[in-house]
This record gives sequence, C-alpha cells and structure tokens, in this order.
Amino acid sequence: MDQVGSILDRPKFYYNIDGLGELGGSVMCLGFALLLWLLMRSPADSVWHQISFLALVGLMFLIHYGTKAVKTRITYPRTGFVEYRKPLHTQAIAAALGALTAVGLAIGFRRHWDISALASLTGLVFAAAYAYQIARAVRWKWVIVGAMAVATFVIAFLPAAVLGALGSESPAHPDRAKLLGTILLSLMVYGTLLLISGNISLWLYLRHTQPPAQEGQ
Amino acid sequence: MNQQIRTIADLDRVIHEPGRLMIVALLFAVEQADFLYLQHETCMNKGTLSSHLSRLEEAGYVEITKTFRAKIPQTLLRLTESGRQAFEGYRRNLKAAL
Repeated sequence: MDQVGSILDRPKFYYNIDGLGELGGSVMCLGFALLLWLLMRSPADSVWHQISFLALVGLMFLIHYGTKAVKTRITYPRTGFVEYRKPLHTQAIAAALGALTAVGLAIGFRRHWDISALASLTGLVFAAAYAYQIARAVRWKWVIVGAMAVATFVIAFLPAAVLGALGSESPAHPDRAKLLGTILLSLMVYGTLLLISGNISLWLYLRHTQPPAQEGQ
Repeated sequence: MNQQIRTIADLDRVIHEPGRLMIVALLFAVEQADFLYLQHETCMNKGTLSSHLSRLEEAGYVEITKTFRAKIPQTLLRLTESGRQAFEGYRRNLKAAL
C-alpha cells in the first residue's frame, strides 16, 4: 500500500522536476525584494509608489506565464504534460495559512514583539514548506533546507543597526527599519538559494532527458 | 479469515495488474496527463502502455483524447468518474485484505 501511496505522490513532485517551481519562487522573492528596495529608497511621490501594485501584479503574471511558456517548450516535449487537480480545500488551506501568517506578523509588529523571533519563525515555516513540497523528493535539496534554516537564524541574530541600515536611511523609526531590513534580507537570501537550487535542477534535467525527436517531413 | 480471503477475491482484476495499477494511481493524482508522461513515469514501452490503456478504456476507467499541441500529436488521458471510484474501492479492499 505504501508503494501505491508513493506513486500517488509522484505527480506532485513532477512539477519541479525541471527546477522551474524553484526558479519561479526565486523570481518572486527577488522581485519582491527589488520592489521593496525601490519603495524604501524612492521619495513618496515617485512613480514606484504609484505603480507598485501594478508591478506586483505584473510580476505574478510574469511568473505564471513565463513558467508555462518554458514548460511548453522544454518539459512537455521531453517528459510529458500534466494538468493538476485543483481541489478547493487545498487552496482554502493555503489561503488560510497565508492570512494567519500575515495577521500574526501584523499583531507582532503592533505589540512590539521581538522582530528577530518573528523573522526566525517565518523563515522556519518557509524552510519547512520547502522541505515538504520539494526536498522530500530529491535528497540533495536537504542541503538547501539546512542553508535556509541557518540563514534564518543568522538574520535573526544580526545586529539591529545592520538590519536598520538595510531597511531605511532614516533613523526616525528604528523598529520599522529593522523589520523592513529583516524582510528585505530574508527575501534576498531565500531568492538566491532557490535560484541556485532551481538552476542546478534545470541543468540536471536537461542533461538527463533527451530533446524531442524531430518530426519527419 | 474467510472474509479476508473473500476480500482478496473481490479485488478489481483490471486495476490489480501491476502495470495498470501504476497507470491508474498516476492518473488518480492528476486531472489529466499525456502518453509521454505515463511512459516516462512507468518506464513501459509504447506497445505495452498502449495495450494497458486500451484495457482500461474498455473497462470505462480511462478516457483517451487525441489532440494536437503545437502541430505535434498528443494523446491525453484522464481517469473517468467510474475509474476514480474503482481505484478508491480497490484501495479500500486491499487495506481490508492486508
């Protein structure tokens, strides 16, 4: 029965067989980081503040359709096409978890909880989600999980002055600057780790799969 | 004990064959997949996979659609509702028997 269970899990892991799941995640993290940095460094009346929402939507579209286009050209002709089921309860659980995390962070910030602890908690949730979704299927990706966990603790224990300097140039709101600095650094580190892991997966995938045979005339 | 033996005898023989069990389990987890994906995952050759799929189609468990993706022929496979029910029943019976 366990073998049947593992066969049932295989299509889930197939989504990232080419590393595109991770590359999409890395574009999202690094894109958010870039947007956050632009918003922090530009004046309040700059164009970035006016189009930030549009840029966010554009980034999501880029990830969705970019992944689809690459899969259509590279993955489907090599190892086949899969359309996934979209059960409502899975989407509801993901949305609820996301909302819960956002509410937890907002409450924590308002009540002046320790930002380092919040950052560690969020980072560990991220690392656990990555381990469950991706590293479970590929053994070497546990190195990435370990790196994520270590990076989370390093960021949490960085001096407030370093994070504050990253978060904002103005010393008027040190708590806000520390929070923004923590988020910015976390996004950059997770994005970079996903980029490295995704690229290695894509390289291994291209190396171990045959390109589609040319159709005869 | 007799009940257990009867449960084993009641197992759906169309699904019980290892090759077809792999195909049905893979299709159960997705909305639809193409022939190439099943071939890649099961490591069966085209002929064997085709014959298993024909048997599953005859039983009404799999729906086969021939289509084109960017001018290249593509065979899409989907588990029917009765196929899903049959697989769930098979797993229940196997658990009870073991």
